[in-house]
Amino acid sequence: MSPQDEIEVTRDLIMKLEKLSMLQLTDEERSRMKEDLRKILKFFQTIASLNLEEVEPTFHPLAQGKLRKDVVRPSLLRDLALMNAVRGEGGYIKGPRTGGE
Amino acid sequence: MIQEELNLLRNEGAEEYVARKMERIGKLEPKVHAFITLRSQEELVREVKENQGKGKLGGILVAVKDNISTYGLRTTCASKMLESYIAPYDATVIERLKAQGAVILGKTNMDEFAMGSTTETSYFGPTSNPWDLDRVPGGSSGGSAVAVSTSMSQIALGSDTGGSIRAPASFTGSFGLKPSYGTVSRYGLIAYANSLEQIGPLARNTEDLATLYSAIAGEDERDATSIAFNESSPSKVELARLRVGVIREIYEASAKEVKSVFDRALDLLMSQGTAVEEVSLEHAEYALPAYYIIAMSEASSNLARYDGLRYGFKEYQEGRWTEVYSMNRAKGFGTEVKRRILMGSFILSAGYYEQYYIKALKIRSLIRKDLDQLFKRLDALITPTMPILPPKKGEVIEDPIRMYAMDLNTVIANLAGVPAISVPAGLYGGLPVGIQMMGKYLSDYFLIGISMSLEEILHNAEMSPPLAS
Repeated sequence: MSPQDEIEVTRDLIMKLEKLSMLQLTDEERSRMKEDLRKILKFFQTIASLNLEEVEPTFHPLAQGKLRKDVVRPSLLRDLALMNAVRGEGGYIKGPRTGGE
Repeated sequence: MIQEELNLLRNEGAEEYVARKMERIGKLEPKVHAFITLRSQEELVREVKENQGKGKLGGILVAVKDNISTYGLRTTCASKMLESYIAPYDATVIERLKAQGAVILGKTNMDEFAMGSTTETSYFGPTSNPWDLDRVPGGSSGGSAVAVSTSMSQIALGSDTGGSIRAPASFTGSFGLKPSYGTVSRYGLIAYANSLEQIGPLARNTEDLATLYSAIAGEDERDATSIAFNESSPSKVELARLRVGVIREIYEASAKEVKSVFDRALDLLMSQGTAVEEVSLEHAEYALPAYYIIAMSEASSNLARYDGLRYGFKEYQEGRWTEVYSMNRAKGFGTEVKRRILMGSFILSAGYYEQYYIKALKIRSLIRKDLDQLFKRLDALITPTMPILPPKKGEVIEDPIRMYAMDLNTVIANLAGVPAISVPAGLYGGLPVGIQMMGKYLSDYFLIGISMSLEEILHNAEMSPPLAS
């Protein structure tokens, strides 16, 4: 599709984004979000007409980060790291089941 | 002034100093709602006593934005998702402040996860502008700016992703600095858009702003994007030798009320011999969409960690993991956060990544190039900080595009990673208007130096709303 085409924000698109974002909307939120996303995409269209083939993207203001030496250091204690977990067991966070239907 | 506070504290002692602060807070806080969490008088007295005489800030109370991790203290990001989250460690900036003897007064209100320009998207309710309680204080660091402008706290920390320190500084008559990217560690700052944001200071005058900035700046090995930068004694800049450019595209888009205050300040500058010229930032009109594309993309990735399991969430329910996570996130996030996560997922999805995300990053390159060109012959770029006066509550929040448009003047510095300062320019109809100055990368102390000289001609330090005088 060409960059100038306006993308149609459908209910299906919203539901696909909900899945990608792991974010379940109510029907009411869905209709509002449909309208909002349409407006935001229209606002983004101002950059669609630019031809930027020759330009290099800047992912980050710093050209490169730096690594520290690979040495073991004291770090956050396990109990502290886990203190906000909703459910824990034996030093782990216990999550919902991942298998079975 | 911090110096005056230190003298006061020495003369009247910790009990009296804290009691006076608490009395002020008791009177003003119910009107403005600047804090999400306030610490108890007892704790404060004890810590002030322990820290008196230590470092540059021995016993001074500091307000901290609620997206900066504070050991043992609730850190909510103004979100239901983190309503009961207690940070298990201190952010580097907090460690640094504590090393200078500062005491945390409380955690300030903000837009949820810093996503907003008005401090209205907070789960805990909006903060009011002390200059007119029906208006917004700007955002997202609205609570910090209001705490400072009402003298509930002499200094405060905010964070700035696209203007979140400068907007509320401007709307409340305060001073705020968005530091050069990398000069302040982001370790312990709860991430929204990492490649854009920095923690920075808010204050009532330039000297305090500089003191707070020098206390938090510096390299930190726990943040791989932090850099060594230890210059710490700003000096006044001679205004007669200064060359500044007014960005035409931004100036022209400003409301006439804002322009009138800005023009007056500019006239004063010129009367001091400053060379002022009108300049064009070629790609200015693309800055705002590019900024939002990048910020939303980074947000959708950063906020993926909130599953309702790891960071404390009261309404957790059992079920299949995909459903549990989707339900928890639906219940824990507010509307603006959901909007930005969904948009970010869209932008980063197959077929749109190149068209939006990569293109926005290319615009970022162009804007940096535009700025590099201008900084070859100019010392600073000067514009109004905000295009409009503080809007009434509810006026912009319902229309995302209108809210995003408020960030037009400020996002440029975040895209390029350069420093930008907002200082009060004066009042229009009793409402503060701010001036923004942007400088080349690492010119933070030079901008502070300009602000020191400006203070002498604008008399803009220690402004207080009638409510708080």
